[in-house]
Order: sequence, then structure tokens, then C-alpha cells
Amino acid sequence: MLIDREVSGQLQHKLDKITLDESIVKAKAALLNDIKRSIYLYRVDCGGCNGCEIEIFSTITPIYDTERFGIKNTPSPRHADIMVYTGSMTRLMRLPAIRAYQGAPDPKIVVSYGSCGCTGGIFHDNYCVWGGTDNLFDVDVYIPGCPPSPPQTIYGFAMALGLLGQKLKHTEITEVPGEQVPIRFETIPYKVRTALERKARLLSGYRSGKDLSDEFMTALALGGTDVFAGIDALIAAQDDPRKKEVLGELKAELKTQLASQEL
Amino acid sequence: MTADTRRWNTEKGSTVLKTIKEVLRVGDATVKYPFAPIERPRDARGKPEHDSVKCFACSACANACPPNAIQTSLDLTAGTKSWSINYGRCVFCGRCEEVCPVDAIRLSPEFELAVMKKEDLEEICTYSLQRCSECGEFFAPTKAVDYAKRVLAQSNTLNDDVSLALDSINLCMSCKQKQDAHRYWEQSRRAGELLC
Ligand code: SF4
Ligand code: SF4
Ligand code: SF4
Repeated sequence: MLIDREVSGQLQHKLDKITLDESIVKAKAALLNDIKRSIYLYRVDCGGCNGCEIEIFSTITPIYDTERFGIKNTPSPRHADIMVYTGSMTRLMRLPAIRAYQGAPDPKIVVSYGSCGCTGGIFHDNYCVWGGTDNLFDVDVYIPGCPPSPPQTIYGFAMALGLLGQKLKHTEITEVPGEQVPIRFETIPYKVRTALERKARLLSGYRSGKDLSDEFMTALALGGTDVFAGIDALIAAQDDPRKKEVLGELKAELKTQLASQEL
Repeated sequence: MTADTRRWNTEKGSTVLKTIKEVLRVGDATVKYPFAPIERPRDARGKPEHDSVKCFACSACANACPPNAIQTSLDLTAGTKSWSINYGRCVFCGRCEEVCPVDAIRLSPEFELAVMKKEDLEEICTYSLQRCSECGEFFAPTKAVDYAKRVLAQSNTLNDDVSLALDSINLCMSCKQKQDAHRYWEQSRRAGELLC
């Protein structure tokens, strides 16, 4: 029997978090501070979409090559120093997760991988998930991302190994009295601006659409007396025919808008 | 050595040479990261950067966010609205960027998001609410009302609609409705007087 009888068996309506012995906590802290050896990694998928697994395997390809840090994927938890949990911890995966956890020798580092592992991610409010690894185990490193790209993964491990520092910090910001939201392109009438933005989004999506309409309106705002001179110069300067096309359409839209304003 | 073996040896030799040449030509494919910065595509989907000054707490992003990584909540006793994002729940879909009316949030290529403590994944911003000038209830974020005021004032055709809207801008929804009803009543009374 791999698992103790008390742990298995009954279904849980409330998750019993696995608590660690004090000596193990100390050993783990010491290990996290100073890992002077190659670390072996065991990966448990606890009900994600498998995107995270695919990214873990792209991380061990020659391009990203995690083995240069001595990180090696092992097929058995018995050899593992790091347990990587992906997925939002479904009810059915609770027991296999515990089983793998108990299989690994102490002290072991637990990594929550992906948005699912960190907080439950896109599945966080699903009826059959516990919503994140940390509801079951003490987690040492959280690697967010859906899925985390290989550099993101390497950053997470490099941070755990002490190669890089943590960047993200808990932030709390309070509004300063008198703070004002800037109006974009204040010199362009609101209706004209929104019409241009809408048109650009319709043509090339919210991201490039916005970039293009911003370029267009910057040229327009700088235009001075001859409104169209700056715009024509901008269109002429483009080497991407798609951009040319969209900017041309925006110019047509601007003409329509100006005509309707004059009426 | 037979002719066959000799041929085999030369062929093998040339293959090995070719392989070595090829390896030298291709060079080292492994990225230098984390020892050197890594190049990310301009539009790579990374951390949504929120600019708290540009944001007026309209909650459009909280409505759109599929995993509820962005949440807003009202505190009517303190008169504040808080906006929070949990990068550990974000799926980097860009819906928040798509719906934000003032470009206060935009996905950046920043990818170094791993943390050791869960609290570090959170960002919380607090905004003040404005009281209705009529009944004194909190009704909208101060910054949102201020923005609407300035946008309305900016529209160069100062027509009736705009001045009416500017008139009632400091009112809550129900006081606005009351004012509208009152106006309508006045109007119909006047129209009635004209008819008589
Ligand atoms: S974090 Fe995203 S990619 Fe990873 S398992 Fe969950 S849904 Fe899939
Ligand atoms: S990118 Fe998507 S998941 Fe992330 S905060 Fe924006 S809307 Fe939410
Ligand atoms: S949509 Fe934009 S302005 Fe509105 S709350 Fe979100 S970030 Fe702020």
C-alpha cells in the first residue's frame, strides 16, 4: 500500500492541508537557501489542460536546456527534489497528488506551475477543483502563466535556485486626491477620435488597431494647418502594405467625419 | 583492407566531418537566459501593466476578465472602490486591454512573474467614490465623474444634450431620473399652457 489508510478512502468536502514537521520546514528552508547539487524534478498533472506539460517539455529542449543547471526530469517521485504541480487540483487528482508527494524524500520543494497551479486559474470556480496546489501542500515557488513560457519557467527555477531575484512585489496604491485621467488626443474632437479608433479596431483588431490609430492621430494632432499633409507623409512612409491600407481607410473615415461635422 | 571497407571508411569519415562542420556552422542554439537577457517579441503576452493614474475604476476589465483575475469591490462606508489583479490567476488573454476605455491596462512582454509568496502576485488600487450632490449617496468613482465632465466640456458643439448632461453630472442615477421626470413634467405643463 503506497498511501496510509487514513489519508485515502473518504471523499473530502473540505480539503485537509498537509502540514509539515518543524524539522522538515527547517531542512527545506536550508535547502532553498543553498542548493549545491543537481536537482531532480517530478511533475504531477493535477487536472490542467496539458498546456503546462507541453511548455515544461519545451523547456527541456536544447534551446532552453534546463539540464545545464542540473535540473532533470525524473520518471519517479522517489528520486525527486522538486515536485512540480500543474493543474488546478481536481478532486480526483487529490489522492494521486498526495501519493506522489509522499513518495518523494524530504525535504522537497513544491512548485505551483501555471495559473491553474497557483490559484486555480481559468478553472478556479469549477465545481470539481480545489483551486490551486497551495490548498493541499505548502508551496515554495509560484510560477504563473497560462502556460508559463520556457523563459518564464527558467526564471522560476533560477529564482528558486537563487540565480535571479524576485521582481514582482505586493503593491497597494491609493488614489492621490486631485488625480486626473488624461484625455487622449485632447485636440481631436471626442467623436472623431472614437470613430477613428473604432474603424481601426474593426480593420485590424484591438492591439494593432490601437497602435495604428494612435500613430494616425499623433500625425493628425501634429498636423497644424494642413490636416492631411502629415497623414499622407505617414502613409507614404509605411512599407507594410497592410498598414498602408488601414491608414488609408482611416483617412477616408476622417474625411467622412469632417464632412458630417461641418453639416 | 578490401575495397568495400575502404569506401565505407571514407564515406563514414566524410559524414563525421560534415556533421562537425554543420555543428560549427549552426553554433550554440541554447539561449543564454538567465545569464543574459532574453529577447521577447514586441507583442508577447506577458504581465498586464496597470497604470493606476490612467484608470478610473470603471470595472469594464473586471467584467471581461475570464478567470476573474481582476476584481473590483465597493466599500460604501469608507466611500472607496478597490481594484485588484492577481497575476497568479491571469491567463494573459488580453480581454482587459481590449475593453479598457482609457488604455489604463496593457499587456507587456514582461514575463518574470514567479514569486515565493502568494501575496506578491497581487496588486490592489483604491479609488475614492463621489457623493451625489442631491441625496448624498456614493454613486461613482470621483475620477470617472471628473473624466466625463472634461470629455463633455471638450466637445466643441455645446448643444442642449451636452449642457443637460453637464447639469446633472454630479447626480446619482435615481436623482437623475427624478430630475428628468421633473423636466418632462415642466415641459408638458408648458405645452399644455400653450395649447389652452
Ligand atoms: S495554467 Fe493554463 S496552460 Fe496550464 S494547465 Fe492551466 S489552463 Fe492549461
Ligand atoms: S489578460 Fe485576461 S486574464 Fe489577465 S487580467 Fe486581463 S482579462 Fe484577466
Ligand atoms: S477597464 Fe481600464 S479604466 Fe476601467 S477599471 Fe479596468 S483598467 Fe481601470
